Amino acid sequence: MGSDFYQLSILPYAGIIIKICRAYTNTQEDFEDYYQEVCLQIWRSKDNFNQQSQWTTWIYRISLNVCLTYMKRRKTGDKAFVSDSLPDDVIDDSKAFANDDINELYSAIKHLTETNRAVILLYLEEKTYEEIAEIMGTNANNIGVRIARIKERLSKFISEKD
Amino acid sequence: MTKSIETMWKEGFVSESQLTAPKVNDLYNRKSQNIVDKLLNMFAINIKMLIVGSLLMFVAMSLIGAPFFGLYVCILLLPLIVIAKKELKRSVDISKGQSSYDYLINFDNWLKHSIEAYSGYYRVFYPLFFLGMITQGVTSKAGGKIIALLMEKFPTDVVILGLPYYLFMALTCIIFIVIKYADALYRLDLNIVYGRQFKKLDELIKDMKALRRTA
Repeated sequence: MGSDFYQLSILPYAGIIIKICRAYTNTQEDFEDYYQEVCLQIWRSKDNFNQQSQWTTWIYRISLNVCLTYMKRRKTGDKAFVSDSLPDDVIDDSKAFANDDINELYSAIKHLTETNRAVILLYLEEKTYEEIAEIMGTNANNIGVRIARIKERLSKFISEKD
Repeated sequence: MTKSIETMWKEGFVSESQLTAPKVNDLYNRKSQNIVDKLLNMFAINIKMLIVGSLLMFVAMSLIGAPFFGLYVCILLLPLIVIAKKELKRSVDISKGQSSYDYLINFDNWLKHSIEAYSGYYRVFYPLFFLGMITQGVTSKAGGKIIALLMEKFPTDVVILGLPYYLFMALTCIIFIVIKYADALYRLDLNIVYGRQFKKLDELIKDMKALRRTA
Protein backbone atom coordinates (compact mmCIF):
# COMPACT_ATOMS: atom_id res chain seq x y z
CA MET A 1 0.00 0.00 0.00
CA GLY A 2 1.54 3.26 -0.99
CA SER A 3 1.88 5.50 2.05
CA ASP A 4 0.77 8.38 -0.18
CA PHE A 5 -2.58 6.71 -0.58
CA TYR A 6 -2.97 6.38 3.18
CA GLN A 7 -1.87 9.96 3.79
CA LEU A 8 -3.99 11.48 1.02
CA SER A 9 -7.05 9.29 0.72
CA ILE A 10 -7.54 7.67 4.11
CA LEU A 11 -6.02 9.81 6.86
CA PRO A 12 -8.17 12.91 6.11
CA TYR A 13 -11.21 10.66 6.68
CA ALA A 14 -9.79 8.82 9.70
CA GLY A 15 -12.49 10.38 11.89
CA ILE A 16 -15.20 8.43 10.08
CA ILE A 17 -13.31 5.16 10.46
CA ILE A 18 -12.51 5.81 14.12
CA LYS A 19 -16.13 6.58 14.99
CA ILE A 20 -17.41 3.45 13.27
CA CYS A 21 -14.72 1.09 14.56
CA ARG A 22 -15.28 2.29 18.12
CA ALA A 23 -18.91 1.25 17.94
CA TYR A 24 -17.97 -2.33 17.08
CA THR A 25 -15.08 -2.87 19.47
CA ASN A 26 -14.59 -2.95 23.21
CA THR A 27 -10.86 -2.73 23.68
CA GLN A 28 -8.11 -0.49 22.35
CA GLU A 29 -6.36 -3.50 20.83
CA ASP A 30 -9.46 -4.57 18.91
CA PHE A 31 -10.13 -1.02 17.85
CA GLU A 32 -6.65 -0.71 16.34
CA ASP A 33 -7.06 -4.05 14.55
CA TYR A 34 -10.39 -2.97 13.08
CA TYR A 35 -9.01 0.40 12.07
CA GLN A 36 -6.11 -1.19 10.22
CA GLU A 37 -8.39 -3.73 8.58
CA VAL A 38 -10.67 -0.96 7.31
CA CYS A 39 -7.67 0.96 5.92
CA LEU A 40 -6.41 -2.20 4.24
CA GLN A 41 -9.79 -2.88 2.65
CA ILE A 42 -10.18 0.72 1.46
CA TRP A 43 -6.83 0.41 -0.26
CA ARG A 44 -7.64 -3.00 -1.72
CA SER A 45 -11.02 -1.80 -3.00
CA LYS A 46 -9.85 1.52 -4.40
CA ASP A 47 -9.94 0.28 -8.01
CA ASN A 48 -13.62 -0.61 -7.60
CA PHE A 49 -14.51 2.93 -6.64
CA ASN A 50 -16.55 4.13 -9.60
CA GLN A 51 -16.95 7.77 -8.56
CA GLN A 52 -20.71 7.53 -8.88
CA SER A 53 -20.85 8.01 -5.15
CA GLN A 54 -18.70 10.25 -2.99
CA TRP A 55 -15.41 9.04 -1.55
CA THR A 56 -16.78 9.57 1.98
CA THR A 57 -19.79 7.35 1.16
CA TRP A 58 -17.35 4.72 -0.07
CA ILE A 59 -15.43 4.95 3.21
CA TYR A 60 -18.61 4.64 5.25
CA ARG A 61 -19.64 1.56 3.27
CA ILE A 62 -16.31 -0.20 3.56
CA SER A 63 -15.93 0.69 7.23
CA LEU A 64 -19.35 -0.71 8.06
CA ASN A 65 -19.00 -3.81 5.88
CA VAL A 66 -15.61 -4.61 7.34
CA CYS A 67 -16.83 -4.14 10.92
CA LEU A 68 -19.85 -6.34 10.25
CA THR A 69 -17.76 -9.21 8.92
CA TYR A 70 -14.52 -8.93 10.84
CA MET A 71 -13.33 -12.23 12.19
CA LYS A 72 -11.39 -11.93 15.39
CA ARG A 73 -9.18 -14.66 16.70
CA ARG A 74 -9.45 -14.78 20.44
CA LYS A 75 -6.45 -15.58 22.58
CA THR A 76 -7.83 -19.05 23.23
CA GLY A 77 -7.65 -19.71 19.50
CA ASP A 78 -11.40 -19.58 19.16
CA LYS A 79 -12.67 -17.43 16.31
CA ALA A 80 -15.60 -15.13 16.82
CA PHE A 81 -17.12 -11.82 15.93
CA VAL A 82 -15.84 -9.49 18.58
CA SER A 83 -19.01 -7.49 18.50
CA ASP A 84 -20.90 -10.40 20.01
CA SER A 85 -22.62 -9.30 23.17
CA LEU A 86 -20.13 -8.74 25.91
CA PRO A 87 -20.77 -8.25 29.61
CA ASP A 88 -21.72 -4.70 30.54
CA ASP A 89 -18.65 -4.17 32.68
CA VAL A 90 -16.43 -4.72 29.65
CA ILE A 91 -18.40 -2.24 27.58
CA ASP A 92 -18.59 0.34 30.38
CA ASP A 93 -14.85 0.24 30.85
CA SER A 94 -14.43 2.08 27.58
CA LYS A 95 -12.62 5.39 27.96
CA ALA A 96 -11.94 5.69 24.30
CA PHE A 97 -12.68 9.40 24.00
CA ALA A 98 -11.79 12.39 26.13
CA ASN A 99 -15.43 13.42 26.29
CA ASP A 100 -17.46 11.53 28.93
CA ASP A 101 -20.76 12.08 27.12
CA ILE A 102 -19.38 10.41 24.03
CA ASN A 103 -18.11 7.46 26.05
CA GLU A 104 -21.52 7.16 27.65
CA LEU A 105 -23.23 7.34 24.28
CA TYR A 106 -20.93 4.70 22.79
CA SER A 107 -21.55 2.49 25.77
CA ALA A 108 -25.28 2.69 25.01
CA ILE A 109 -24.76 2.21 21.26
CA LYS A 110 -22.90 -1.04 21.94
CA HIS A 111 -26.09 -2.47 23.44
CA LEU A 112 -27.79 -2.18 20.06
CA THR A 113 -27.81 -4.80 17.31
CA GLU A 114 -25.06 -4.39 14.74
CA THR A 115 -27.49 -3.13 12.11
CA ASN A 116 -28.93 -0.57 14.50
CA ARG A 117 -25.45 0.60 15.41
CA ALA A 118 -24.81 1.30 11.73
CA VAL A 119 -28.09 3.18 11.32
CA ILE A 120 -27.59 5.40 14.36
CA LEU A 121 -23.95 6.14 13.56
CA LEU A 122 -24.91 7.34 10.09
CA TYR A 123 -27.77 9.37 11.53
CA LEU A 124 -25.49 11.02 14.09
CA GLU A 125 -23.09 11.79 11.26
CA GLU A 126 -25.94 13.84 9.80
CA LYS A 127 -26.52 11.63 6.81
CA THR A 128 -29.94 12.03 5.24
CA TYR A 129 -32.35 9.09 5.24
CA GLU A 130 -31.60 8.64 1.53
CA GLU A 131 -27.87 8.54 2.18
CA ILE A 132 -28.30 6.06 5.02
CA ALA A 133 -30.47 3.92 2.77
CA GLU A 134 -27.87 4.11 -0.01
CA ILE A 135 -25.00 3.12 2.27
CA MET A 136 -26.92 0.29 3.90
CA GLY A 137 -28.89 -0.83 0.86
CA THR A 138 -32.23 -0.40 2.50
CA ASN A 139 -35.42 1.57 2.13
CA ALA A 140 -35.28 5.27 3.04
CA ASN A 141 -38.92 5.20 4.16
CA ASN A 142 -38.10 2.77 6.94
CA ILE A 143 -35.06 4.57 8.23
CA GLY A 144 -36.99 7.28 10.06
CA VAL A 145 -39.10 4.79 11.97
CA ARG A 146 -36.04 2.72 12.88
CA ILE A 147 -34.12 5.79 14.05
CA ALA A 148 -36.98 6.85 16.30
CA ARG A 149 -36.96 3.41 17.94
CA ILE A 150 -33.20 3.40 18.33
CA LYS A 151 -33.18 6.86 19.88
CA GLU A 152 -35.80 5.74 22.35
CA ARG A 153 -33.67 2.75 23.32
CA LEU A 154 -30.54 4.83 23.64
CA SER A 155 -32.26 7.42 25.81
CA LYS A 156 -33.52 4.62 28.02
CA PHE A 157 -30.05 3.12 28.39
CA ILE A 158 -28.50 6.47 29.21
CA SER A 159 -31.27 7.47 31.64
CA GLU A 160 -30.98 4.15 33.48
CA LYS A 161 -27.28 4.74 33.94
CA ASP A 162 -27.76 8.30 35.16
CA MET B 1 -30.43 12.63 30.74
CA THR B 2 -30.39 16.33 29.95
CA LYS B 3 -28.79 16.41 26.51
CA SER B 4 -30.14 14.82 23.38
CA ILE B 5 -27.95 12.19 21.73
CA GLU B 6 -27.50 14.53 18.78
CA THR B 7 -26.10 17.23 21.08
CA MET B 8 -23.87 14.73 22.88
CA TRP B 9 -22.46 13.65 19.51
CA LYS B 10 -22.00 17.16 18.17
CA GLU B 11 -20.35 18.48 21.30
CA GLY B 12 -18.22 15.38 21.68
CA PHE B 13 -16.87 15.63 18.18
CA VAL B 14 -16.61 19.40 17.82
CA SER B 15 -13.43 18.94 15.89
CA GLU B 16 -12.78 15.70 14.08
CA SER B 17 -9.13 16.62 13.81
CA GLN B 18 -8.89 16.02 17.55
CA LEU B 19 -9.44 12.34 16.90
CA THR B 20 -6.13 10.58 16.78
CA ALA B 21 -5.79 7.83 14.24
CA PRO B 22 -4.02 4.73 15.54
CA LYS B 23 -0.51 4.09 14.35
CA VAL B 24 -0.61 1.82 11.34
CA ASN B 25 1.92 -0.98 11.36
CA ASP B 26 3.06 -2.45 8.07
CA LEU B 27 -0.38 -1.87 6.67
CA TYR B 28 0.62 -2.82 3.16
CA ASN B 29 1.53 -6.37 4.13
CA ARG B 30 -1.14 -6.89 6.73
CA LYS B 31 -3.03 -10.16 6.66
CA SER B 32 -6.74 -9.55 6.38
CA GLN B 33 -9.06 -10.70 9.18
CA ASN B 34 -12.16 -10.26 7.08
CA ILE B 35 -14.22 -13.45 6.91
CA VAL B 36 -14.61 -13.20 3.12
CA ASP B 37 -10.86 -12.82 2.63
CA LYS B 38 -10.17 -15.61 5.08
CA LEU B 39 -12.45 -17.99 3.19
CA LEU B 40 -10.95 -16.96 -0.14
CA ASN B 41 -7.52 -17.49 1.30
CA MET B 42 -8.59 -20.91 2.52
CA PHE B 43 -9.75 -21.85 -1.00
CA ALA B 44 -6.47 -20.67 -2.49
CA ILE B 45 -4.49 -22.70 0.06
CA ASN B 46 -6.77 -25.70 -0.56
CA ILE B 47 -5.87 -25.67 -4.24
CA LYS B 48 -2.15 -25.76 -3.49
CA MET B 49 -2.55 -28.37 -0.76
CA LEU B 50 -4.67 -30.57 -2.99
CA ILE B 51 -2.16 -30.45 -5.83
CA VAL B 52 0.78 -31.19 -3.53
CA GLY B 53 -1.19 -33.73 -1.51
CA SER B 54 -2.41 -35.71 -4.49
CA LEU B 55 1.09 -35.86 -5.98
CA LEU B 56 2.57 -36.96 -2.66
CA MET B 57 -0.16 -39.56 -2.33
CA PHE B 58 0.65 -40.94 -5.76
CA VAL B 59 4.39 -41.12 -5.00
CA ALA B 60 3.85 -42.63 -1.53
CA MET B 61 1.39 -45.22 -2.80
CA SER B 62 3.70 -46.11 -5.67
CA LEU B 63 6.54 -46.64 -3.19
CA ILE B 64 4.51 -49.07 -1.09
CA GLY B 65 3.41 -50.92 -4.19
CA ALA B 66 -0.06 -49.42 -4.69
CA PRO B 67 0.39 -47.02 -7.62
CA PHE B 68 -3.14 -47.57 -8.92
CA PHE B 69 -4.65 -46.58 -5.59
CA GLY B 70 -2.41 -43.49 -5.58
CA LEU B 71 -3.58 -42.60 -9.07
CA TYR B 72 -7.18 -43.27 -8.07
CA VAL B 73 -6.93 -40.84 -5.13
CA CYS B 74 -5.30 -38.23 -7.39
CA ILE B 75 -8.22 -38.48 -9.79
CA LEU B 76 -10.69 -38.25 -6.89
CA LEU B 77 -9.02 -35.06 -5.64
CA LEU B 78 -9.04 -33.32 -9.02
CA PRO B 79 -12.68 -32.15 -8.86
CA LEU B 80 -11.97 -30.49 -5.50
CA ILE B 81 -9.32 -28.37 -7.19
CA VAL B 82 -11.80 -27.47 -9.93
CA ILE B 83 -14.46 -26.55 -7.35
CA ALA B 84 -12.05 -24.37 -5.33
CA LYS B 85 -10.94 -22.56 -8.51
CA LYS B 86 -14.52 -21.96 -9.62
CA GLU B 87 -15.53 -20.63 -6.21
CA LEU B 88 -12.56 -18.27 -6.20
CA LYS B 89 -13.67 -16.89 -9.56
CA ARG B 90 -17.25 -16.44 -8.35
CA SER B 91 -16.05 -14.35 -5.41
CA VAL B 92 -15.54 -11.23 -7.56
CA ASP B 93 -19.11 -10.16 -6.75
CA ILE B 94 -18.29 -9.64 -3.09
CA SER B 95 -17.02 -6.06 -3.27
CA LYS B 96 -16.77 -4.40 0.13
CA GLY B 97 -17.75 -1.09 -1.42
CA GLN B 98 -21.32 -2.28 -2.03
CA SER B 99 -24.18 -1.33 0.22
CA SER B 100 -24.14 -3.40 3.40
CA TYR B 101 -27.23 -5.33 2.34
CA ASP B 102 -25.84 -6.23 -1.10
CA TYR B 103 -22.49 -7.12 0.41
CA LEU B 104 -24.00 -9.45 3.00
CA ILE B 105 -26.44 -11.00 0.53
CA ASN B 106 -23.76 -11.58 -2.12
CA PHE B 107 -21.45 -13.04 0.48
CA ASP B 108 -24.20 -15.29 1.82
CA ASN B 109 -25.15 -16.49 -1.68
CA TRP B 110 -21.54 -17.19 -2.53
CA LEU B 111 -21.02 -19.01 0.76
CA LYS B 112 -24.12 -21.17 0.32
CA HIS B 113 -23.13 -22.00 -3.25
CA SER B 114 -19.61 -22.94 -2.15
CA ILE B 115 -20.82 -25.12 0.71
CA GLU B 116 -23.31 -26.81 -1.61
CA ALA B 117 -20.65 -27.45 -4.25
CA TYR B 118 -18.19 -28.89 -1.73
CA SER B 119 -20.68 -30.94 0.25
CA GLY B 120 -22.16 -32.27 -3.00
CA TYR B 121 -18.79 -33.56 -4.05
CA TYR B 122 -17.85 -34.87 -0.59
CA ARG B 123 -20.98 -37.04 -0.72
CA VAL B 124 -19.28 -38.80 -3.65
CA PHE B 125 -15.67 -38.41 -2.58
CA TYR B 126 -15.78 -40.08 0.84
CA PRO B 127 -17.60 -43.26 -0.27
CA LEU B 128 -15.40 -43.60 -3.38
CA PHE B 129 -12.28 -43.01 -1.31
CA PHE B 130 -13.40 -45.64 1.17
CA LEU B 131 -14.28 -48.04 -1.65
CA GLY B 132 -10.80 -47.53 -3.11
CA MET B 133 -9.25 -48.26 0.27
CA ILE B 134 -11.26 -51.46 0.62
CA THR B 135 -10.36 -52.60 -2.89
CA GLN B 136 -6.71 -51.88 -2.24
CA GLY B 137 -6.93 -53.64 1.11
CA VAL B 138 -8.58 -56.85 -0.03
CA THR B 139 -6.35 -57.19 -3.09
CA SER B 140 -3.15 -56.68 -1.13
CA LYS B 141 -1.12 -59.51 0.37
CA ALA B 142 -1.98 -58.51 3.91
CA GLY B 143 -5.66 -58.28 2.99
CA GLY B 144 -5.54 -61.74 1.45
CA LYS B 145 -4.06 -63.10 4.67
CA ILE B 146 -6.78 -61.49 6.79
CA ILE B 147 -9.50 -62.90 4.53
CA ALA B 148 -7.92 -66.34 4.71
CA LEU B 149 -7.79 -66.07 8.50
CA LEU B 150 -11.43 -65.03 8.63
CA MET B 151 -12.45 -67.94 6.39
CA GLU B 152 -10.59 -70.27 8.72
CA LYS B 153 -12.23 -68.93 11.88
CA PHE B 154 -15.68 -68.38 10.40
CA PRO B 155 -15.95 -70.70 7.42
CA THR B 156 -18.74 -70.10 4.89
CA ASP B 157 -19.64 -71.21 1.38
CA VAL B 158 -21.22 -67.86 0.54
CA VAL B 159 -18.54 -65.74 -1.08
CA ILE B 160 -19.29 -62.43 -2.81
CA LEU B 161 -16.61 -60.84 -5.00
CA GLY B 162 -14.00 -62.98 -3.28
CA LEU B 163 -15.09 -61.92 0.20
CA PRO B 164 -16.94 -63.95 2.82
CA TYR B 165 -20.53 -62.71 2.83
CA TYR B 166 -20.31 -61.25 6.40
CA LEU B 167 -17.23 -59.21 5.53
CA PHE B 168 -18.88 -58.06 2.31
CA MET B 169 -22.00 -57.03 4.22
CA ALA B 170 -20.02 -55.25 6.93
CA LEU B 171 -18.04 -53.27 4.36
CA THR B 172 -21.21 -52.46 2.41
CA CYS B 173 -22.82 -51.18 5.62
CA ILE B 174 -19.81 -48.97 6.32
CA ILE B 175 -19.97 -47.53 2.79
CA PHE B 176 -23.66 -46.71 3.25
CA ILE B 177 -22.91 -45.05 6.58
CA VAL B 178 -20.17 -43.00 4.90
CA ILE B 179 -22.58 -42.00 2.09
CA LYS B 180 -25.20 -41.00 4.64
CA TYR B 181 -22.90 -38.96 6.85
CA ALA B 182 -20.37 -37.55 4.33
CA ASP B 183 -22.35 -34.33 3.93
CA ALA B 184 -22.96 -34.00 7.68
CA LEU B 185 -19.27 -34.61 8.35
CA TYR B 186 -18.24 -31.79 6.02
CA ARG B 187 -20.79 -29.39 7.49
CA LEU B 188 -19.79 -30.31 11.02
CA ASP B 189 -16.17 -29.60 10.21
CA LEU B 190 -17.15 -26.24 8.69
CA ASN B 191 -19.39 -25.37 11.62
CA ILE B 192 -16.67 -25.99 14.17
CA VAL B 193 -14.51 -23.32 12.55
CA TYR B 194 -17.05 -20.88 11.13
CA GLY B 195 -20.31 -21.75 12.91
CA ARG B 196 -20.57 -18.56 14.95
CA GLN B 197 -19.77 -16.38 11.97
CA PHE B 198 -22.40 -18.08 9.86
CA LYS B 199 -24.97 -17.66 12.61
CA LYS B 200 -24.04 -14.01 12.95
CA LEU B 201 -24.31 -13.53 9.20
CA ASP B 202 -27.82 -15.02 9.23
CA GLU B 203 -28.82 -12.66 12.04
CA LEU B 204 -27.40 -9.64 10.23
CA ILE B 205 -29.22 -10.49 7.01
CA LYS B 206 -32.44 -11.10 8.90
CA ASP B 207 -32.14 -7.69 10.55
CA MET B 208 -31.26 -5.98 7.27
CA LYS B 209 -34.25 -7.58 5.58
CA ALA B 210 -36.48 -6.39 8.40
CA LEU B 211 -35.13 -2.88 7.88
CA ARG B 212 -36.04 -3.06 4.19
CA ARG B 213 -39.45 -4.49 4.86
CA THR B 214 -40.93 -2.82 7.91
CA ALA B 215 -42.23 0.67 8.07
